[in-house]
Amino acid sequence: MAVKKKFPYKAALVACHGGCRATGCTYGCTGCGTCVSACKFDAIAVGPDGVARVDEAKCIGCGACARACPQQLIHVHDCANYIVVKCSNHDKGAAARKQCSVSCIGCRICEKTCTASAIHVVDNCARIDEAYCLSCGMCAVKCPRKVIHDLRGICAEK
Amino acid sequence: MATFTINGTTVTVEKNQKLLRYLRDTLRLTSVKDGCSEGACGACTVIVDGETCKACVLDTDSLEGRQIVTVEGLTDWEKQVYTFAYAEAGAVQCGFCIPGMVMCTKALLDKNPDPTEPEIRYAIRNNYCRCTGYVKIIAAVKLAAQILKAGVLPEKGADDWKLGSRVQRLDAAEKVLGTGKYPDDVYLDGMIYASALRSAHPRAIVKSIDTSAAKALAGVVGVFTAADIPGSVKVGHLKKDWDALIPVGKMTHYLGDAICIVAAETLEIAEAAKKLVKVDYEVLPPVRNPKEAMTGPLVHESGNLLAHKHIQRGNPTEAIAKSKHILTQRFTTPWTEHAFLEPECAVAYVDGDTVVILSTDQGAYDTQHETAPMLGLPMERVKVQNMLVGGGFGGKEDVTVQHHAALVTYLTGRPVKVKLTRAESLLIHPKRHPMDMEISMGCDENGNIQGVAVEVIADTGAYASLGAPVLERACTHAAGPYHYENFECDGWAYYTNNPPAGAFRGFGVTQTCFAVESLLNEMADIVGISPWEIRMRNAIRPGEALPNGQIVDNSTGLVETLEAVKPYYDAAVAAGKPVGIGCAMKNAGVGVGIPDTGRVKLVVEEDRKVHIYAGASCIGQGLGTVLVQMAVTNTDLKRDDFVYERSNTWLAPDSGTTSGSRQTLVTGEACRRACEKLMEARNAGKTLEDMVGETYYGEYLAKTDPLGANVPNPVSHVAYGYATQICILNPKTGKIEQIVAAHDVGKAVNPLSCEGQIEGGVVMSMGFALREQYPIDGNCKPIDKYGSLGLFRAHEVPEIVAIVVDKPGLNVACGAIGIGEITSIPTAPAIADAYARYTQARQFDLPLQNTPYERKA
Repeated sequence: MAVKKKFPYKAALVACHGGCRATGCTYGCTGCGTCVSACKFDAIAVGPDGVARVDEAKCIGCGACARACPQQLIHVHDCANYIVVKCSNHDKGAAARKQCSVSCIGCRICEKTCTASAIHVVDNCARIDEAYCLSCGMCAVKCPRKVIHDLRGICAEK
Repeated sequence: MATFTINGTTVTVEKNQKLLRYLRDTLRLTSVKDGCSEGACGACTVIVDGETCKACVLDTDSLEGRQIVTVEGLTDWEKQVYTFAYAEAGAVQCGFCIPGMVMCTKALLDKNPDPTEPEIRYAIRNNYCRCTGYVKIIAAVKLAAQILKAGVLPEKGADDWKLGSRVQRLDAAEKVLGTGKYPDDVYLDGMIYASALRSAHPRAIVKSIDTSAAKALAGVVGVFTAADIPGSVKVGHLKKDWDALIPVGKMTHYLGDAICIVAAETLEIAEAAKKLVKVDYEVLPPVRNPKEAMTGPLVHESGNLLAHKHIQRGNPTEAIAKSKHILTQRFTTPWTEHAFLEPECAVAYVDGDTVVILSTDQGAYDTQHETAPMLGLPMERVKVQNMLVGGGFGGKEDVTVQHHAALVTYLTGRPVKVKLTRAESLLIHPKRHPMDMEISMGCDENGNIQGVAVEVIADTGAYASLGAPVLERACTHAAGPYHYENFECDGWAYYTNNPPAGAFRGFGVTQTCFAVESLLNEMADIVGISPWEIRMRNAIRPGEALPNGQIVDNSTGLVETLEAVKPYYDAAVAAGKPVGIGCAMKNAGVGVGIPDTGRVKLVVEEDRKVHIYAGASCIGQGLGTVLVQMAVTNTDLKRDDFVYERSNTWLAPDSGTTSGSRQTLVTGEACRRACEKLMEARNAGKTLEDMVGETYYGEYLAKTDPLGANVPNPVSHVAYGYATQICILNPKTGKIEQIVAAHDVGKAVNPLSCEGQIEGGVVMSMGFALREQYPIDGNCKPIDKYGSLGLFRAHEVPEIVAIVVDKPGLNVACGAIGIGEITSIPTAPAIADAYARYTQARQFDLPLQNTPYERKA
């Protein structure tokens, strides 16, 4: 189903990069596929690593997947904001560290780094306020856990 | 270590560093500007594998195999296209953001040759511009797309260089391509770097400074304290109250005070050495606001009251008391940061017995006059060359780095660069005064103003800077551009231990205009007429006297600006949209009896061209272009016969500070007079070849009467510009749909430049009205991050209709009146009025709350 998208484009974002499979993060994507069933646009799929991935070209940002996700780790974001946090782990640093190799430990380096005060650690997990983010990627470069990604793959991994 | 490609050349970088540092310091690709080094401004934007990226963010180690493009790496055709498009659209003012914007343009157009306007806005939205309001940059991107599609450069829209012609700025190419030099782009052989250690406390006595460990660090060339200053420790634009370095035993005044300067072979060593300096302080309680200053401890020994201004004509108390309608209200406006894109930087070196300073400032002679006495040298032994200036807006009138650079080069004999980090810049240079204003207005039943009384209290921060004249202009212009007789204003500016406050586009009038115009809007509602109508009834017209007694001349065009916005105003009202309005007047020239002289020298040099020398800074407003247009109009010569020379203190005569919207008028008239002399020679039959070696000098004293002069109708200023701006809201979203800004400029020298000033000024004051903040904490420490100031971004800017109104009548400078400041003045009250109508509640404090633009948290 082709839908004409309206600029500025929005798309769903899965706030989990995987990596939690082995050690059992309770917040991460389980690869259950609920989102895949909910999507009418064939825009989300569970990848070989068992984590859901969004195809921003197809996604219209309707939010059906976000509403369906039992883990509540999908949200709709502005595609122009390509710097994103791909973690939803709300446990404290030490616990979060054990559960996943790419989990946010709430160290707040991103907060201190951000020129725009656009990223804050809320409930032990970094969250970007896209209205203020200048998409510089400084937080992604400085993040010791590689939790913050650049969807273009320039400042950090996609 | 990583290997990657820059502009087609493969490089291997051993030492991990920020890409910005490698591009600038090693490869000298100086189109890549260092505006903040914190990811905010976008001046260092480059293209990495087809995507825009801020070079200050990326570590070189992360770039293995990447393809990087800077402006230097554009093809010749691309260079031609972007230069033409940006120049023709009028997108280049100070130019500091432009190479980054060009990179954004290329990255967009490479992928999307036919972008929509929203797509263009998004493509540049992570890059700040403080001059243009983005309007003409967006136009430049559109034009570049058209040219790339067409494959040929179009003809220039205007090329006759006469007054009134929309010619391309003469410095556009060097700014677009990044070849023009700001001080930071200068790298001299053997150059060292110096940086000052700042005070740890806003108010403390410096008991001792131990520099021994810092001096012992390898690579440190010297560590200098006030004891090393050969001349006067105090500097200052007007009042010499600013310590170049705080001497041992003396008190600090704010957190930006310099304690000592460390000079080292590299900036990293200088920064490391600063950490080794041990300073012993006796910490004292700071004075945090004017209220504390009135009764609290002393900031300066001379007392905490920097200035008190009292202006009175007629008897406003009586006139207001007798009025049918009376309103009294208190207003406050906040600190505002200039946020020019280029942080302060100076390079200095010794040439024989002379110290040479390459500076970014609003007056090369001001820098000389502040620096030479500090070095204990006669003026002529300090030479100042004005480089490109990446925006000023009043914030570069005081020395911040120039004197430190001069001191280090004088003491070490080495060339030196002193550059403020963005955090230092935010802390150190003077800001816009926060003001607390109480204003009373009385009107008759028809809305005719009977009298106005105003009290203003300003926080002038740690040092005088231009605080006293700013307060004075706030007071004189609090009357507004209306014809009534009873006006009184009392103003006080208090020293505190906050960062200093000084000149900022509007010079105090931005603040009091918000108060008086807001009150007038409320008054219109009470009288039962429209805010447009109340202005039309009270508007000053040629031949009438302003509340200051000055009889205004035939160039006075407030009514014309009101008429210019009327169709937009009426249409919006008819459509049920919330509309707000504000008017303003702003002097061009210093005025009030202070000597204000423009000087221009036209020198015919060996190249058989007329070189224009004026000791007047172009800070991005386009002074060089103005002077060439003035010269082409007033001589029989062509554009190509003239060369504009950037200001300096040894070839160019002192033409005063770029301040008070004065250069177009004051230096413009001096240029016209020099042209008259030149034409005497031309009319005697001389060719340029005959004239080689000749100098034609023009001087103009803009003579005015001092405040309180004992004459019936004093001339406070040689000219005033007038403006009306309206703000129209979208009734559904509450966002600004359109701002219409009509400005009377006498004669527009270059309407394209005028529009650029208007658009930039409007967007700057949208920030002032709606969002910008410069919060200062309980220990006098301000915010230190550029990206958190709340500056408007490209995708947030509404449609701006800039209307340039020409009205002849001024008998100097071919009728041209400066427009630099007034563009920012009526915007805030117009916006506040629109929101008052939208929410049915008036607000009296800026920035406004509960608008869609408010920055939460």
